[in-house]
Amino acid sequence: MSDTEFDVVIAAYLIPDLAQEDFDRLVKLVADKHLEVEGVALVAEDAEGNTTVKETGDHLGRKGLEIGGGLGLVVGLFSPPLLASMVIGGAVGGLAGKFAKHKVESGLEEKLGAALPPGSAGIIAIYDRAKGETVDATLASAVRKSVAQIDGGGAKQLKAALAEAQAGMGGG
Amino acid sequence: MSDEPDRTKLPIQRPPFSGVANQTLDGSRPGWEQIGHVEPPEGSPNVLVVLIDDAGFGNPSTFGGPIDTPHYDRMAEEGLRYNRFHVTAMCSPTRASLLTGRNHHAVGMGGIPEFSGGFPGYSAMLPRDAAPFPKVLKENGYSTAAIGKWHLTPEGEQGPAGPFDHWPNGWGFDYYWGFLAPEAGQFDTMVAENQKFIGVQEGKDGKPFYFPEAMTDQAIDWLHGVRGHKSQKPWMLYYSTGCSHAPHHVWKEWSEKYKGRFDQGWDKLREETFERQKKLGVVPADAELTPRDALMPAWDSLDENSKRVFARQMEVYAGYSENADHHVGRLLNAIEEMGELQDTLVVWIWGDNGASLEGTPTGTFNEGTMVNGLPLTDEEQMQLTLKWGGLEAWGTEMMYPHYSTAWAWAGNTPFQWGKQVGSHLGGTRNPLVVRFPRDVKGAGGLRSQFTHVSDVGPTILDIVGIPQPRSVDGVDQQPMTGVTFADSLTDANAPEAHTQQYFENFGNRAMYKDGWWLSMRMPRIPWRLDPELLKKFAPGVWKPDEDPVELYYLPDDFSQANDLSEDHPEKVKELQDLFWEEAEKYKVKPLLAGFSPFFGILPPLGAQTVTTYYGDVQNVAPGAVPRVYNHSYTITADLHIPDGGAEGVIVADASHLGGFSLFVQDGKLKHTYAFLGVFEYRQESKESLPTGDVNVQMVFRADEAAPATPGDVTLLVNGEPVGSGRMDHTVPFGFSGYAGLDVGRDNGLVVDRSYAEKAPFVFTGTVKKVVFDVAPHLDDGDERALHEQASQAHTVRGMDA
Repeated sequence: MSDTEFDVVIAAYLIPDLAQEDFDRLVKLVADKHLEVEGVALVAEDAEGNTTVKETGDHLGRKGLEIGGGLGLVVGLFSPPLLASMVIGGAVGGLAGKFAKHKVESGLEEKLGAALPPGSAGIIAIYDRAKGETVDATLASAVRKSVAQIDGGGAKQLKAALAEAQAGMGGG
Repeated sequence: MSDEPDRTKLPIQRPPFSGVANQTLDGSRPGWEQIGHVEPPEGSPNVLVVLIDDAGFGNPSTFGGPIDTPHYDRMAEEGLRYNRFHVTAMCSPTRASLLTGRNHHAVGMGGIPEFSGGFPGYSAMLPRDAAPFPKVLKENGYSTAAIGKWHLTPEGEQGPAGPFDHWPNGWGFDYYWGFLAPEAGQFDTMVAENQKFIGVQEGKDGKPFYFPEAMTDQAIDWLHGVRGHKSQKPWMLYYSTGCSHAPHHVWKEWSEKYKGRFDQGWDKLREETFERQKKLGVVPADAELTPRDALMPAWDSLDENSKRVFARQMEVYAGYSENADHHVGRLLNAIEEMGELQDTLVVWIWGDNGASLEGTPTGTFNEGTMVNGLPLTDEEQMQLTLKWGGLEAWGTEMMYPHYSTAWAWAGNTPFQWGKQVGSHLGGTRNPLVVRFPRDVKGAGGLRSQFTHVSDVGPTILDIVGIPQPRSVDGVDQQPMTGVTFADSLTDANAPEAHTQQYFENFGNRAMYKDGWWLSMRMPRIPWRLDPELLKKFAPGVWKPDEDPVELYYLPDDFSQANDLSEDHPEKVKELQDLFWEEAEKYKVKPLLAGFSPFFGILPPLGAQTVTTYYGDVQNVAPGAVPRVYNHSYTITADLHIPDGGAEGVIVADASHLGGFSLFVQDGKLKHTYAFLGVFEYRQESKESLPTGDVNVQMVFRADEAAPATPGDVTLLVNGEPVGSGRMDHTVPFGFSGYAGLDVGRDNGLVVDRSYAEKAPFVFTGTVKKVVFDVAPHLDDGDERALHEQASQAHTVRGMDA
């Protein structure tokens, strides 16, 4: 079992293509082996308020977490209708993850939908805590970021961390 | 003897009875002049005065700006552009000068109606010896109307108890429809009609209400009504838009037209505008573009996120402005359809004080944050923009947006500074177009005589052929100090008639004479106003003549680019002295009288600390709402809850961007306090309200009597505490510049979005009485301190108008 500790970040953007740029930079860091992520997704809120997952690069790390399957950790947090327009990142490695074997009823899509107004975008990423500064610097155009630690490897811990990160997106 | 009546004494005397009145009709002969009305001079034209709000010389395409204004273009092509026309750098002062033909201080409007000061030049009380020219027209046989923004009625008089002398009807308008406030949300405007607030109106034909459209409909309806009633009677219409003042509210299709058109940024935009201005000829070929002040960032220094956000701010402003042009166009088309455009003198001024710098360098999602002295960083502004709907919502009712200071500066191309800064042309020179086919020679031409907003009234009277009255209602009149420029309509080379003019707004001063302009700018940033910053201008500290000066010779220096003060110290001294002479003559002294609350000079302390609303009182104007700021207060209501319960609003003030609401929802008593859209504080009762007669109370116990004090909220039902909470921040100056207080409902934008779907969320029980007590637990010292803060607050709220 990997000893890597993970954080989850939810980042909100006023301008979708700047979110895309940050997302691409994040993926490139992983591809260049400067960063290990357990999952990352780019989410967009269209002008009518519909939430879609635009791209994902789940489990891009070299080491990865030892368990998981399906579409991967972050994508797995969303329900199928949201994935209709999703593009799987080219750098996707093994679609496995420490948490993803558990069914996580995260409520993430609803919370993200509430936090992201129409015409905006968001990034959610689960990454090696040791690289927190790198991730923070990479998500440079986000106007709001909320980070929570995942204390352990189970669905319960992930859910708690997501709840904490989501709560951090509220307010002014 | 001439049949022409004596028009110098108003009202015009009714002619003596020409008939015979015997004991009975036997042998009696009527004198029909007894039922006649005053006739204007033969051939009197209609008069349309259009005033756009908070815009700059370099905004409309007609003057080289980036905003498409086809109807303004048309009027200029069929009329004349005036490129040396001047205003006062502030809203109410310009309007007072426009309508009276006199200097603003001379008619009590050195400041703003939110603060009636104790000096003649700053009372905000139109004196009876300064009859406005619309009243003169009315007394000479015109039908008159004012539609749109007003902002000339003292705030304390804006209620059912009046008095009404200073409402639009009192200024000489037969009819008024619009808003009295300094500014208004364009989707939820609290409308006044004649002498009554009629509140937020419904849209037409199933469409949502939008003020620019509604005011135009009202104007057209009024014209149709007048013409239907009297086929020949001339009319005078003052059409004054809320646009382009904040909040910048416009339908998305208008802002979308400008998508990408401001991506080059404000520095480049100024250069582009300047080039177009030269091509059009509204700026001389030898003029220089003045540089950016260091208070505003270079566009190239911004990150991409900021650039995109800023660009969106200007896209909305541009769409909002073009929409105003569109609606003026609708009005002009209606006049044309009536067959009267050729007989109508059109005077169209684009901006009353230069473009507004008050959005702060970041621009703001809610102008109320600036008004309340709440500084927000770029990052915070973006987060709050995200919170209230993102960039898609910039321009909608969810925000109260104002663009960045630097966009205003770009809108004032080629000048320095802008609104509030009466010392420089950015705040004092605005576009003027005059169209009057009967007199104009050389349509499409340019006029460069020095003209001033006080000239408009005398010019209109001159063209119509009505003398300035010596006496009105038995009161001898101050002469109009504006000078007619009617000669310039026919003669491009007409001699300059207005050769000397002072400027003063909140301490920023200028003196113009025969081409020379002395700028005396206070070293104060226009978008910051708080007691600490004003200390250096306190009585005994500030020496006005020690302020830095700049001297310009405008015939050679259109844009004020070359300061000649060091080369001409004698001219500096001459103009400084002349300013003080003018200040004495026109009641400008004492300088900063409009800021007197900041220096401890306060109006008499009001005695009313308890306000009781019986029944269904609605649309209480902001200045009349109990002042719940900066201290403890209580709201108590007597209700009747029917069997089965009730829901709805007991009392609410303003909106989610600043306001409070006491309401019943899901059976529980709830209180929401919206801190300027930044924070929301909510408290609710643990249990459902009982039925029958119920007394409820919201008690706010402030930590101290101090600006923005935190404090604790307790909710009580029949005297028993049922809920509580803490408010870490409260609003120090004011929730809203325009939205009102309502009992039994929450009109317009609601305070708590949780009941937005049910708006106005009318209370389904009965609200018998609501009582505000704004002075519980105060000692005399606290009371005076709060009075001082309240007086300052009134000043601040009006400053951005």
